[in-house]
Amino acid sequence: MKSTVKIIFTILIVSSGIFLSSYINQPGVRTISFPYKQAGLTEKQAAAHLLSRFTYGATSRQVDEVVSIGLEKWLQQQLSGKLNDDALNQRLINYDAIHLSNTEVSNTYPKGGQLIKMAIKEGIINKDSIAVAGKKEYKDQIAAYMRKNGYKPQQELFRQFINQKILRASYTNNQTQEILTDFWFNHFNVSITKNQCAEFIPAYERDVIRPNVFGKFSDLLIATAKSPAMLYYLDNFSSSGTNTNLENNNKKRNSQLDGRMQAAMKDSTSQKAQFIKKLQQAKKTQGLNENYAREVMELHTLGVDGGYTQEDVTEAAKVLTGWTVYPMGDNGSTLQNIIEKAGEGTLEKRGFVHDGDFLFVPSRHNNQEKIVLGKKFPANGGYQEGVDLLNMLAHHASTAKFICTKLAIRFVNDHPSQSLIDKMAKTFTDQDGDIKQVLLTMVNAPEFWSKESLREKTKSPFELAISTVRSLGADVKQPYQLYNWITKMGQKLYYYQAPTGFPDKGQYWINTGSLLNRMNFGLAITSQQISGIKVNLAAINNNHEPESAEAALITYSKLIMPERNIDETIKRLTPMLNDPELVRKVDAAAGKQSQTMDVTNNEDIMIADEMQDQKEKISKTALAKSVTDNNTMLARVVGVIIGSPEFQRK
Amino acid sequence: MTSRRGFIKAGGLALFGISLGGFPTFLARAAESNKIISPYKRNKILVCIFQRGAMDGLMAVTPFTDNYLKAARPTLFMSAAKGGNTNPLIDLDGQFGLHPSMKAFESMFLEKRLAIVHGIGSPNNTRSHFDAQDYMESGTPFNKGTSSGWLNRAVGLLGHEAATPFQAVSLTSSMPRSFYGDNATVTINNLQDFAIQMKGNQMGANIAAKSFEDLYDQTSSSLLKETGKESFEAVKMLQKTDTRNYKPANNAIYPNSQLGNSLKQIAQLIKMDVGLEVGFAESGGWDTHVNQGTANGVFARNAADLSNNMMAFWTDIGSYQDDVTVMTMTEFGRTVKQNGTGGTDHGRASCNFILGNDVKGGIVHGNIKPLAIENLEDGRDLAVTTDFRSVFSEVANKHLKINNNPILFPDWKGNAMGVMRS
Repeated sequence: MKSTVKIIFTILIVSSGIFLSSYINQPGVRTISFPYKQAGLTEKQAAAHLLSRFTYGATSRQVDEVVSIGLEKWLQQQLSGKLNDDALNQRLINYDAIHLSNTEVSNTYPKGGQLIKMAIKEGIINKDSIAVAGKKEYKDQIAAYMRKNGYKPQQELFRQFINQKILRASYTNNQTQEILTDFWFNHFNVSITKNQCAEFIPAYERDVIRPNVFGKFSDLLIATAKSPAMLYYLDNFSSSGTNTNLENNNKKRNSQLDGRMQAAMKDSTSQKAQFIKKLQQAKKTQGLNENYAREVMELHTLGVDGGYTQEDVTEAAKVLTGWTVYPMGDNGSTLQNIIEKAGEGTLEKRGFVHDGDFLFVPSRHNNQEKIVLGKKFPANGGYQEGVDLLNMLAHHASTAKFICTKLAIRFVNDHPSQSLIDKMAKTFTDQDGDIKQVLLTMVNAPEFWSKESLREKTKSPFELAISTVRSLGADVKQPYQLYNWITKMGQKLYYYQAPTGFPDKGQYWINTGSLLNRMNFGLAITSQQISGIKVNLAAINNNHEPESAEAALITYSKLIMPERNIDETIKRLTPMLNDPELVRKVDAAAGKQSQTMDVTNNEDIMIADEMQDQKEKISKTALAKSVTDNNTMLARVVGVIIGSPEFQRK
Repeated sequence: MTSRRGFIKAGGLALFGISLGGFPTFLARAAESNKIISPYKRNKILVCIFQRGAMDGLMAVTPFTDNYLKAARPTLFMSAAKGGNTNPLIDLDGQFGLHPSMKAFESMFLEKRLAIVHGIGSPNNTRSHFDAQDYMESGTPFNKGTSSGWLNRAVGLLGHEAATPFQAVSLTSSMPRSFYGDNATVTINNLQDFAIQMKGNQMGANIAAKSFEDLYDQTSSSLLKETGKESFEAVKMLQKTDTRNYKPANNAIYPNSQLGNSLKQIAQLIKMDVGLEVGFAESGGWDTHVNQGTANGVFARNAADLSNNMMAFWTDIGSYQDDVTVMTMTEFGRTVKQNGTGGTDHGRASCNFILGNDVKGGIVHGNIKPLAIENLEDGRDLAVTTDFRSVFSEVANKHLKINNNPILFPDWKGNAMGVMRS
């Protein structure tokens, strides 16, 4: 079933690609030239603006590349998301965890509590020995148990996942796909802070978000609704019907059923018949959980002012009862085994829907008639009525407005004009929620190129870090070091607790503490003080040494902030260079003390990273040497540029 | 934005006053004693401590005469009777006993500066840490979409502009949910980091700082410009004091922990008169599902860390005690019955502590019923008999002199608990 879905998505993407190219190339249908000249921009300035919004920052001389490809064609390539990524894949070659399915993740990276339960069950550790938890002997027992069974700590899964995110954003050629992956992940936020959903987040981003970022909004919505990460994060996995007779069931009966079900499962002779019966009866009393139903309307589709009531939330929750996660991992393996033996055919006949990690359980579904936003969902609608509901929400006028406003806030400015939102919303409605078409409408609008848009967005900490890596052509060997800085600057990626996702406005990112950390980040990365991140300042200027300090300042300002007005920056930074005595003193001070620098603040992570990069292990002394080899004054100037207000903007 | 401008204006005024010479003696004294700005008017300060993980309120402050509890907790129940092998509970009022590790609180309770509210919790019966913390910090237990935190809204209701960027400071590694919102707050893990840094190269750092200051001063983005100004002012303020070698006053000793470091730095800020009005710190490790222990063990260690650090803080701030109220909070309590692994699972109501000279102390407030099964929420948990908002709102209203519950806790129309002196 999963493969069917994939094929459908592929067809969608391919067909919309064909549609797009005919759309753009057909003269008279639509302007194929972005309206930047009308806004008084040169082609190079326009390319720089386009790059600032559709990539994580221009790499050295990328503006010229985009001009030579043609702005429109470049964007079209980006919106296909199909550029060759061999260099990136080479960097990801040692990350084995990032390709695992949810089931494999559950089997390989058990949660801490689960692990201990299993170890107790298998008699590896004594139940009473938990009293000495934290002691070395106990830890050793657990470690040996993990080794024996091939279990790995969950933290390792998240480390690999986060590292690949940083590498992907830094080095992928399909930059727009990553920008949109970030946008939609944040829109459909899930969080590692919620233990139940945490392990499913890597596959959520990889299989649910990334493949769908250019497609139809409804596909994205339904894919998220059916994913284990979302089902657990917003509790829908546990939501079940609230028919009166179900509500009257008590817990005692439920647990008896559970017990009998377990027994039935152990008894291999009566598996098939009993399973179906038991599964249908089991766990009926957990009741309705409105969490997902509320957020899907408030945050994913209509928006808080989208015109729904509390009654709509409750009714929508009833529509989505029975939507849950297919059993997996060690805990679910018995059940899974039985389901497989019962056969998909039998399940389907009984109204079950099994699609990848998703399972619709008819006995948990509320079969009454429901009314949501005035639309009647007749009794006994089963799985399909949930799909119908989500489709209805995806195509609602409030959704068009809400989604287009969010897109405009991400890509244009913090307070997009109504005229722009209206144009985008019209495309959203006319083109069946086609995200690619909505983006093209946005870029074809004069508002995208206006001075209210240029450089008006403040980079998030993640965007600042990645744009720095890209501008400086930095070689990232220990991505987690960057993650630590990004966290310090105020954005702990994947750990945002609330379902709203990170706010997408400058006001949120810029506060006194975070701003200082941004400046310190600039100084740290250029002076090679972030271990595992190598910066070769000479290389970005093709190893030409600028003839003077002033020339260096001008050259590097232009390289790092192409097509920007850098007059003020140069004027303000020139005094830094003009006192030769000062330069000498600073260099001397840096050379003398650089060996004392602190290499990392997270030993575990660094050890893990170093294991990965054995060959290129960076020693403190090598680092210190590279600092003195580099022109420390140049490093300082570039560091100040990275921390400057101009570089915080995109 | 008005508050930002207000700060710059105030900063300018202060400088102007000094350049005129002839400034009042209290200013001179302030200048000599590491004070950062002249205290035109001392503000009240609310310090909140979030105990993440859900504290077992029934172990912190045990209704020790309750035989149902005794039966439900065969190995976790503690007695107030002296003479056993372990330290007994500290009898507060014949009904409630304070955990022996919280002995530091005893004198404050006797002096009526420490109040306890028992049976406090959220009206939303979620037992998820994630949801419950979110609801408690946003202050809207039935609305997850609330983007701001209640302490941020409190800052907006103080009724005056911020004197410095340090009006609301969270000493945590990331911004707590309580601080989300439109009003300017500072989140910083360590005051020593609050500077432009170049490891091992102070002169380079100074030059870079000057360059940054110039660049931010001339940028056309008003957000970056004003925040930049604030940041550099804040850095300069802190530079005047030695944050690294801070010595707590009155022989106060903070136990070494995250909470201790945070409270120590909040005390520093208070004594520097940087205009702090809301402080925030966190205490972790309260999710005691396994072997929580009695007089010793995980719970006892956490309880000792919390109470000893709070009392170190109280001692350290000395003459500022009249200005400061400290309030703890935790997302929910734990099951009445102990579980199969010597711990307790997620429950409903817990208790909290409020310390201050305007607190109606020496009383265990609230109304908890005997823990017979029919009195328990869902047949298992201490029922929530006090909505956290009736306590939080009263503490904020009385201590910070803000009176706007519709903004502070929208959707809530209940009454004050009566934990503050009127």
